[in-house]
Amino acid sequence: MSMLTTVPPVVILLALAIVVSRLPRRAGHAIGALVPALAVPWAVMVPEGAHLRTQFLGFDAVLLNVDPFSRLMGIIFGLIAAVAVLYSYASEADTTQTAFALSYVATSFGAVFAGDWLTLIFFWELMAVTSTLLVWHYGGKAVRAGFRYALLHGLGGTLLMAAILRHYVEVETFLFASVPGGPETAGISSGLAAALAAIGIGVNVGFIGLHAWLPDTYPRPHIAASVFLCVFTTKTGVYGMYRAFPNGHEAIAYMGGAMAIFGALFALFQNDMRRLLSYHIQSQVGYMVAGVGIGSSLAQAGAFAHVFNHILYKGLLFMTAGVVIYRTGTESLKKLGGLWREMPITAGAFSVAALSIAGFPGFNGFVSKGIIISGSHYTFGKGPLPLGEFYTLEWMLLLGGVGTFMSFIKFGYYAFFHGEYDGSVPDANRLQSVAMVSVAALCIIYGVYDTALFTILPFDVTSGAVVDHVYETYTIPHLIEGVVLAVLGLIGFAVTKKPLSKLGRVPDIDKLYNPAVFYGSRGLVVGVTELYAAVDRTVVQATTVVTRTVTSPNDVIARLRDDDSLVHPMRAGIGLSILILAVFVTVALLALS
Amino acid sequence: MIEQLPVLLVVLPIVGGSIPLVASLVSDRAGWPVATLTLVGQAGLAGLLAWTVSASGTVSYAVGGFAAPYGIELVVDGLSGAVALLVAVVSLGVLAYARQAGPHSNAFYGLYLLLVAGLTGMTVTGDVFNLYVFLEITGLAAYGLVASGRDASAAVAALKYLIIGTVGASLYLLGVGYLLAATGTLNMADLASKLGEMAAYDSTLVLTAFGLMIGGLTVKVALFPLHTWQPDAYANAPDTVSAFISALVSTVSAYALARLLFSVFTVEFLAAVPVARWALVGLACVSIIAGSALAVSQDSVQRMLAYSSVSQFGLVIAGFAIATPLAVVGATVHLLGHAVMKGGLFAATGVIERKTGATTVNGYAGMGSRVPLSAFSFAVLSLAMVGVPPAVGFVGKWYIVLGAVNAENWPVVAVLLASTLLTLAYFARLVERLYFAEATIHSEETPAEAPVTDGSGQAVSFGMIAVVVVAAALAVALTAAVPAFEQVLRDTLLPILNQ
Repeated sequence: MSMLTTVPPVVILLALAIVVSRLPRRAGHAIGALVPALAVPWAVMVPEGAHLRTQFLGFDAVLLNVDPFSRLMGIIFGLIAAVAVLYSYASEADTTQTAFALSYVATSFGAVFAGDWLTLIFFWELMAVTSTLLVWHYGGKAVRAGFRYALLHGLGGTLLMAAILRHYVEVETFLFASVPGGPETAGISSGLAAALAAIGIGVNVGFIGLHAWLPDTYPRPHIAASVFLCVFTTKTGVYGMYRAFPNGHEAIAYMGGAMAIFGALFALFQNDMRRLLSYHIQSQVGYMVAGVGIGSSLAQAGAFAHVFNHILYKGLLFMTAGVVIYRTGTESLKKLGGLWREMPITAGAFSVAALSIAGFPGFNGFVSKGIIISGSHYTFGKGPLPLGEFYTLEWMLLLGGVGTFMSFIKFGYYAFFHGEYDGSVPDANRLQSVAMVSVAALCIIYGVYDTALFTILPFDVTSGAVVDHVYETYTIPHLIEGVVLAVLGLIGFAVTKKPLSKLGRVPDIDKLYNPAVFYGSRGLVVGVTELYAAVDRTVVQATTVVTRTVTSPNDVIARLRDDDSLVHPMRAGIGLSILILAVFVTVALLALS
Repeated sequence: MIEQLPVLLVVLPIVGGSIPLVASLVSDRAGWPVATLTLVGQAGLAGLLAWTVSASGTVSYAVGGFAAPYGIELVVDGLSGAVALLVAVVSLGVLAYARQAGPHSNAFYGLYLLLVAGLTGMTVTGDVFNLYVFLEITGLAAYGLVASGRDASAAVAALKYLIIGTVGASLYLLGVGYLLAATGTLNMADLASKLGEMAAYDSTLVLTAFGLMIGGLTVKVALFPLHTWQPDAYANAPDTVSAFISALVSTVSAYALARLLFSVFTVEFLAAVPVARWALVGLACVSIIAGSALAVSQDSVQRMLAYSSVSQFGLVIAGFAIATPLAVVGATVHLLGHAVMKGGLFAATGVIERKTGATTVNGYAGMGSRVPLSAFSFAVLSLAMVGVPPAVGFVGKWYIVLGAVNAENWPVVAVLLASTLLTLAYFARLVERLYFAEATIHSEETPAEAPVTDGSGQAVSFGMIAVVVVAAALAVALTAAVPAFEQVLRDTLLPILNQ
């Protein structure tokens, strides 16, 4: 066993989180940025294979499993964590928040380097806990959003846990197939387990309908916390999706395509900067989910290339949005404008990130998005609605690309280029600039020297022996495609600019959750019979109580306390208790005999 | 010496319990040292006994030399040895808390030791009538302890506990009578062999006995809907008593229920009468859900914890009723782990109330910085209770769920998984209040800030905080002991469960 595999990274990073919380701010952030940065060379050099095998509750567990997939995740997680800690320091985050963030980073490392489902779900759940703490730490509106976030992720985690248990019953081991002693076929066994796993992981990657937590939570905490949040949960979700479905699944691929369009469309409606960016996480993760769902080695290499690139440019976008909020104090695009004169560095970094996410030639998004789209054309079926030579999934992904261009033209236009900014604000401070410019440089480097990216991908996309269709980034048709998408985006924005500016806040699915459950079932049931209406009222009341207790415990508690001093309708007295006991025993005896 | 250990375990606290009353002639503060000495001896004996059992198997003792099945037999196997050790260690630990928290009277410590004697007796006995006797001793001592609070509400709670508990115990006695009529014996091992031979499992006599005995014990375990005495008793008793009885009384009753299930009625009975198993599983599931729902709706933290017990004992009983080795191991681990966690939580509420005056969920806001050590322990214990790994609460639930999965009992699996979410709902709320909310009670309003000189029990001693911290540490550390314990339990359980 070499030095590199003696301790799993999660242990070191958790210890780091505790150390950081105890140190002064400057020293804490310095060491907090250094150690994740060291995780990058570690991830590059650590030898492949399953290390640190142990017994956990009587089951085999692998705490450190290295293969090309986890290696790629380790490299990019370490890199962005180091930059984000630097950014936190520059943005006046306190050490407690950075410590929470580092514990979140640590558990993400634990999840992507797990060699069995048990270890994976263990860290998966801990990620939900640590990220909730990170959100809560900011206080204010973030607290309630944090509750909704925690509940939804608790639900998703429980579904995934059920899937894993079901999987265990069938194959009798928790290990991954690549680990010695693992089952013969990789992934979650099919049937019920697969369905549960897809939905459980679907919460983390933001399947349409399960995505409401994304735009709900990510805009609310501290600006530096958003940079951490936008990276780890959804990308670990994509990684988990690959582990569960290594051969892909058609439904998942199309869900990915739909997410790409849906996210971009809703992003277009947003005026809150970070809310807009959150919808784009869903859209971009849609590309990755599509890549995993297609299942060919080309598409999966593309999905993981996109994970890598997306973390860079989405981290950068949240950093630039954060700087704008930090300097101007406003979150709404409607109140901004003309900032490029005031903050040229931020505007420049934003432009790089926006061109990257939109997939403009010369930037990293162009490379990885190209691989996935190429995978959807050459290695996936035509689907139900092919348009000319564009296959169904292919045009869905291209359409998402147009939407992305449109919404980032909107973001850039209203924040930086439209009109004049009243008054004067300084640009990003020195360390913020260092963080942003270094990530922006990486976005361009990986866009121009695409070989640098190809070498860390799990499958070599330039070798015909590995992938079905050899991928080349800079071909004339691909360049034309990139430019055409940009032009379409420009035209689209010019056409929709007026109607969009008049649009209020567009309701999303979370506005439908509660009313749909309440009034939908109620209307239906009342219509049927009076008896059902009575039953339904009880149900609605119970749901209301539960929802209110969970979402706003203070009100409920306050209300209960008022009642408390008078009577206790719920409390049984001695006589009633004895009656209950007598009835209970009678019923039990009747039931038994 | 080794054979006499079981009876010594019962006799020692009874003798120790009578000394404080006599000592009242000399000093009115003799109770605590006497109780401490007695329980140190008790813990030593229980440790020795548990070690003997794990090394060389079951120890049994015929009281007064009358051989079983006619005389009373005391039997200690891996299961009862572990529970006896738990009783001794927890009661010794709570004494460290009682030193400062009181009550300080000699009579209190007499009752305290009597309760230890009753609980230990319930644990080691191998005779169903003898079990009734110890059940009543336990009950009477517990009623007295609850009533030792200074508020009038404590007396009312004790009266309610007394009436309901006595009716429950009487039902149990009625069931014992039916069993005697059916088989002519009271010895557990003897009953296990005669039931099914002398009286068919599905005969009315046996079924009625089962219903009455299990129903009676269910009152003591406090499963929904027979839990009504429990929140009042836990919330109104003095903090010492709350910590003590919440940790042990229901725990030992649940142990007795398991003992009846496996050593008297046996798994063949459960197989022959599926409705009995389903009734028990159903009751447990209802208890899990209803207990959690009631806990969520509580304002007072202590009442919330009490309702949480209703839910957690539902989990334990569900594990026992599934009756596969894995589920029973899980239920036992959760039973013992719950005792440590719940005792620790009640002790922590006592400390927090004395230091800050906070008793409600709202009052706990912002207390994380006021009482850092106790609040941190409280948070650790809460998360352990939710079942966050690596705490012992996770291990117990995990085994129970695995047992249910192996038994392919899917509705129970669903309820168990849902229960984790529900537990999270009420504990997460408290942890959030502690650490992420603005304080609603400020230090100048706090009673404990005033210097306490008269020893009125408002100050917090090192011992009290130590109890809370040790409970939190144990809630995590016990996980490491589970593999060894599991081996001992399997040796005991496999023959009982016919596997």
